[in-house]
Amino acid sequence: MPHANAADLKIDSAMTLNQVKVGCDVQIRILSGPGCDRLRDMGFCEELQLRKLTSGRNMICSICGTRLAISKELAEQVLVSPVK
Amino acid sequence: MSSATEFPSTIALVGNPNAGKTTLFNALTGSNQHVGNYSGVTVEVKSGETFTPHGRKLRVLDLPGCYSLRANSPDEKVALDALHGLLPGESIPDLIVCVVDASNLERHLQLTLQVIELGLPCVLALNMVDVAEGAGLRLDPAKLSEELGIPVVPMQANAKRGIVELKQALRFPRPVASEATWLADAADPESGRRAFITRLCELAARRPNAHQQTLSDKIDSILLHPICGWISMAVIFFTVFWAIFSFAQIPMGWIGSGKDLLADWVGNQMSEGDLRSLLVDGVIGGVGSVVTFIPQIVLLFLFIGLLESSGYMARAAYLMDGVMARAGLSGKSFLPLFSSFACAIPGVMATRTIDSAKDRLVTIFIAPWMSCSARLPVYFLIVPLLLHDKEGTWKQALVLFSIYALGTLTAFVVARILRSRLGEDITPGHFLLELPPYRMPQWSYIFRHVLDRALSFVKKAGTVILGLSILLWALSTYPKKPGSDKADALAYSAMGRIGSVIEPVVKPLGFDGKMGTAILTSFAAREIFVSSMAILYRVEESDNEEQTRNVLRDRLINAKWPDGRPIFTTLSLISLLLFFMYAMQCLATTAVVTRESGSWKWAAGQFVFMSGFAYALSLIVFQTGRLLGF
Repeated sequence: MPHANAADLKIDSAMTLNQVKVGCDVQIRILSGPGCDRLRDMGFCEELQLRKLTSGRNMICSICGTRLAISKELAEQVLVSPVK
Repeated sequence: MSSATEFPSTIALVGNPNAGKTTLFNALTGSNQHVGNYSGVTVEVKSGETFTPHGRKLRVLDLPGCYSLRANSPDEKVALDALHGLLPGESIPDLIVCVVDASNLERHLQLTLQVIELGLPCVLALNMVDVAEGAGLRLDPAKLSEELGIPVVPMQANAKRGIVELKQALRFPRPVASEATWLADAADPESGRRAFITRLCELAARRPNAHQQTLSDKIDSILLHPICGWISMAVIFFTVFWAIFSFAQIPMGWIGSGKDLLADWVGNQMSEGDLRSLLVDGVIGGVGSVVTFIPQIVLLFLFIGLLESSGYMARAAYLMDGVMARAGLSGKSFLPLFSSFACAIPGVMATRTIDSAKDRLVTIFIAPWMSCSARLPVYFLIVPLLLHDKEGTWKQALVLFSIYALGTLTAFVVARILRSRLGEDITPGHFLLELPPYRMPQWSYIFRHVLDRALSFVKKAGTVILGLSILLWALSTYPKKPGSDKADALAYSAMGRIGSVIEPVVKPLGFDGKMGTAILTSFAAREIFVSSMAILYRVEESDNEEQTRNVLRDRLINAKWPDGRPIFTTLSLISLLLFFMYAMQCLATTAVVTRESGSWKWAAGQFVFMSGFAYALSLIVFQTGRLLGF
């Protein structure tokens, strides 16, 4: 499946989930990497909003009222931007 | 309508983990079936029967929870095969019930759309509407139904609300398959589905904008705290162990005295002879000593059920991920391994939720090293003997805790070595886990599950253990030597002869021939060791006044080698404990491992490795201990 490149986003607003501060609300922009399908199945879909609840080796995010624990490696594949 | 008179139609329940499929399945069928608030409790396809409001019979299949139909894990493969009618003995289901969590439609509808795309007729069970309304969601089931083109039934399966309405939707004429309109203009199915769901949720499930701090969030801030979380986890699991080992003492005492009373009563009713000996010593003695351990097994399953059902087990997996990583595994291996503390069989079966095939094989390999409940009778026999204690004390709890810890630690070391030898996965499966909201445990289901476990243990006691008890009694009674005392008669019997044959093999471990024989019988199932020992040692002591569970221990204390040295020294007891901690002595587990790993070689390798390891370790400890003068 073709994926948009990270460069298509405005560079200043895109960051990975790892770079988000705890407690911030962000919107998922693009998933890019080998874990995409699994991320989408579990609820990390483009356009959805999430809040990062904890950081660390595995971080916890809240998406649509569900808490999901996600590893750093997978969080690196989730590109987000601040909620408009 | 012609099919109405034929064999019952098949309805399959499909949905994400934690959507409440199994709860709905139970509400529909009334079947005894385990419900857990943790992904992957349903690891096999369960089937049951229900009736439409018109009294027509329907077969209901409860498929394993899955997030998509991509078949990433063996669990999802089973669900997909069931939908395609590829499971042995099953055809394509006549109707699919997609179970979704109404408070989580953005995520759960993904699977529903994929099912509709398969072209199968479908009904949407909009479960947990109470939770969704509590979270401030405004649901519009009529709009959902209109957009999806399938019937939508709002319901609350745990309170049995909406079940009648769902059954109405399952009757004839059945809904027809809907068209996947979202695929028409989409560049790819994924983006088509996503755009459709976003629009649908805007229309029919509006979410309040502000992120609400739920009760689960507040509880998690303590239970998942970097420091408090670990303390809470240690407290929770230590409490579980302590409760099992102390609360169980009371009912165990009752069962023990009941067994004594029964043995006395039967003994008084019958005249002296082989039949009385068979009933009193063989049947009541053998089966009774194993049945005594039911309270502990019940308590263990009760606590595991509580932890799963309340949602804490997923938190434990999250916390344990770092620890499991040291063993080369992921946090997902935690539930199978923890279940193995109750019984390795459900533990090995629960490994199906692990995505990585290599992680899964390693988890299966080490699962039997988690001290299962069948080892408990053996530990309860030996540990008080080791500490020279009579009753359950905190010291015993500590020793037992150490046994569990040591077994687990060794398993992790082996896992690490084995995992690194297997090499990396082609696509690394990083940790990704749903933390379900905390829920009040569903007591009725937990009790049913515990009852189920206890009954299956009793059934085992009534069949395998009864059979082996009678066999052991016969072996230790025949052939008879006329006019000799009991000790001589035993030495003359078939059992005595087997014991003397294998004594040279087990003597270097500090065991005598009788222990060797008992260990040999326990390779079918570990708990048989206690009844074997009870039968084998019945002639050593004539004093029957003691408390039932202490009788065997007293006899063991007094057991001597021919030269007068006691057999059960501290060193030989430690050696025995080590042997039982590590040896693979369960035919049922070996059978399940063969099935789950898909290779008898893996099961055979596990058996040889574990038993060889147990023998070698006992040998080293006993011989080193002797050299050091213990």
